[in-house]
Amino acid sequence: MRTGTLVIVAYLACVVVATVWLRLPTSIIRDSVPDVGALTAAYLGLTARGHVAPAVGGSVVLGYLVDLISGTPPGLAALVLGLVCLIARAAQQRLMVRGTAMTMGFSAFVALLVGVVSLAVRMVYGVPRAGLVVDLQHIALVTLATAITGPLVWRGCRRIDAAFARTHRERDAALEGLAP
Amino acid sequence: MTTIRRRLIDWVLTGFLLLIPALVLRASLSRGEPSAVDETVLRITAPLQAAVSWMADGVGSVWSGYVALIDVESENRELREDNERLRKDLASMSRKAYDVQALEELALVKKRIAADMIGARVIGAPLTPFRVSRLRIDRGASEIQPNMAVIAGTGPVGVIEKVFGDYADVLLVSDTRSKIDVVVKRTGRRGFLRGTGRDDSYACTITSLELASQSDQRAQVGDEVVTSGVGLIFPPGLLIGKITKLDGDDGMLQKVEVDPSVDVSQVRAVMVLLAPPPPADPDAKSKKRSEPAYGTRAL
Repeated sequence: MRTGTLVIVAYLACVVVATVWLRLPTSIIRDSVPDVGALTAAYLGLTARGHVAPAVGGSVVLGYLVDLISGTPPGLAALVLGLVCLIARAAQQRLMVRGTAMTMGFSAFVALLVGVVSLAVRMVYGVPRAGLVVDLQHIALVTLATAITGPLVWRGCRRIDAAFARTHRERDAALEGLAP
Repeated sequence: MTTIRRRLIDWVLTGFLLLIPALVLRASLSRGEPSAVDETVLRITAPLQAAVSWMADGVGSVWSGYVALIDVESENRELREDNERLRKDLASMSRKAYDVQALEELALVKKRIAADMIGARVIGAPLTPFRVSRLRIDRGASEIQPNMAVIAGTGPVGVIEKVFGDYADVLLVSDTRSKIDVVVKRTGRRGFLRGTGRDDSYACTITSLELASQSDQRAQVGDEVVTSGVGLIFPPGLLIGKITKLDGDDGMLQKVEVDPSVDVSQVRAVMVLLAPPPPADPDAKSKKRSEPAYGTRAL
């Protein structure tokens, strides 16, 4: 239920971001779309409780929906977000994302990771790409935008987590970013 | 044992979940178009996207139609002021550029004609309904006198008619009272240029133009008419205009119409010839030793 809610809210956020960013003034800002889907997948992986499959499943579904919004080949973002979720799950025991600076740094890392993994998947599958320079420029812009919007997205995710908490302790921990 | 089994199932499930998008991606790349599932999901989610888009458009139109227009009025006022100032600057610069061009033409006249002359600015140009009837210049009795030649950059304008105080009126070439001795440059035949006095043009006629017996020696349309230098008012060789019309002949004299080269309505500055140019030196081609200007003369 928690994962489903996160996925639905993230999907709505992705739709809003995709719609709003199209109407922004300059092309450089229009290209700097924050990767809300990647942040949510990383959050799901980082906060996966016990089983990893629900988090990966949620990330894959979210990625599939992002594919349909953004017009990328269906399965591309789904695979990338699933892998990112898995990587975040692996970092769960070694990393605690708290504070604005840390959240921004981790968000930037996630965006960078998604960019690199996406590039690798495209190369493996032979998906048509723009030039390497354009790809790197796009990754840099998205990383910057994701880092800036990261704390907001994570706060939203923690609010949703807190809403699904069974005890006050869990709720406080979720809000503080101490979950699981 | 149960925990290990659960974990194993979890990881197998995870791998399976990752395998699905990998297969979907491969299938979609080989297919090249959305599958039925994709289309169904798109059909379900399209209204949501349309609603968000509609809201974003609404917010955007409120922003661009109201919030962004708050400063437009003051900006518009500033732009109007800038525009007015720039128009004035442009008009001033255009006027100056025109003056400079007129002065450059006068400088060329001065260089071309070796006569004593003085520059003058046109300060008035009374109009009959469709043309300038005379010019008034800013030189008076202390500097010029009647019957002096007035020349613009492109040719003769007329002669000084009246001088009063610090001003003088110019009798234009196109005036019926004007009479200038001219030559058809190609044929060398002389005549008198007189204004027709028409209200709608500056056209002139040449009177007393002898009708040549040979047809190629007769004046033709397009022939240039220049001053003859006779009468010592205008120096010889100044282009007055071109023949634009042949009005036949009376058996002895040819009647032609001339369009003056000077557009009087555009003249802003002129030169007034104070004294006719000196006659040409007959010994100009033979070199002579000059007398020493100072010292003693050798015996």
